[in-house]
Amino acid sequence: MEEARLVAHETTIAQARTEALVVEFQTKLSRYLRRMVGDAEVALDLTQEVFLSAYRMLKADPTRELNAGWLYRAATNGAISFIRRRKILRMLPLDREVDANSWRVDERSAASVDLQTALARLAPEQSAALLLTSYAGYSSSEAAAMLGTTSDAVRQRVCRAMRVLRSVMREGMER
Amino acid sequence: MTTSGDCVKAESLAGAIALGEAQEIDREAYRSHLAGCARCLSAFGGEREIERVMALVPQARDDERWQPDLRKLLARRHAPRRAWLGAGAVAVAAAVALIVGLRATAPRPAAAPVAHHSISAQEARALAVLDTQTAPRHEGRAESLVVGAATLSTAFDVSIDDHGMPIRCKITKSSGDRTLDRSVCLTAMHVRYSPSPAKHR
Repeated sequence: MEEARLVAHETTIAQARTEALVVEFQTKLSRYLRRMVGDAEVALDLTQEVFLSAYRMLKADPTRELNAGWLYRAATNGAISFIRRRKILRMLPLDREVDANSWRVDERSAASVDLQTALARLAPEQSAALLLTSYAGYSSSEAAAMLGTTSDAVRQRVCRAMRVLRSVMREGMER
Repeated sequence: MTTSGDCVKAESLAGAIALGEAQEIDREAYRSHLAGCARCLSAFGGEREIERVMALVPQARDDERWQPDLRKLLARRHAPRRAWLGAGAVAVAAAVALIVGLRATAPRPAAAPVAHHSISAQEARALAVLDTQTAPRHEGRAESLVVGAATLSTAFDVSIDDHGMPIRCKITKSSGDRTLDRSVCLTAMHVRYSPSPAKHR
């Protein structure tokens, strides 16, 4: 029996670690992103992008720590730039085929629909603040680190989001 | 008299109340602001109202059922070349003693000489889950791999072919946890090895 030196291929390590991240975070991240952009297919694409950039980072440095904060930050940036692009596209006289219904989160829960209606009216930074805290369960200071701002700013954004949510709920009562 | 600066402050107080992060002193400050500011009172509502509105978010979250599976999508883009396994190449039996250290909490030290031979508890857990992916995910069971900050170790032999692809994995020293042993072997089968050069000269 010969002793062979084990050389773990960096690519394989990166694959195994990416796989682990996917298993642990795919549901959380894709649901977060679906709330952010309001569309399941887009959310899947964006989630995939997050894991692909995680994979690229790990391939370059297999020992690098990638935690939930990193993943949510990458996801938020991806969602915000998607929303900006979509906004511009909608102003151009090109994208007439887009059906308003296709962006909606299809849920049978009134709470879910109300939340999504409110999110659609918010600036993406406000949506992200509300979702990272109350929805994903992070504190205002953890969310602040992910969003690159202060926890005071996160609380203010949450307050503005709450205000919109409140008026959506009121409209629901009047309906 | 309230100023607009007070209203900005009231926004972060309301946000703190909304997130359940407000201290009693914050709640008092918010109440006293509302007493003199009809605009904030009608825009945000009192503490009870804020909590009632915010309860909608976790409720919406708990109502969600959507559970996509990205692994197939990603696997298609960069899967390990499993097709090599068991190919008719001449097998070089190599005794590879590799200790896989599992640490529950500590991030791996940068200077550790075995750094890129070790897998984290999270990875082992994930691989254990992958291994049982046909069954519903048993998070509770997978968690049992992580025992406080204890370090579990497993020793195993991997047989590789002359391309360095693993063919077989055998546990030589069990960690005492079968799930862990299994995921260690699963991980070992994911790794490409460098065949012993002496054998070929």
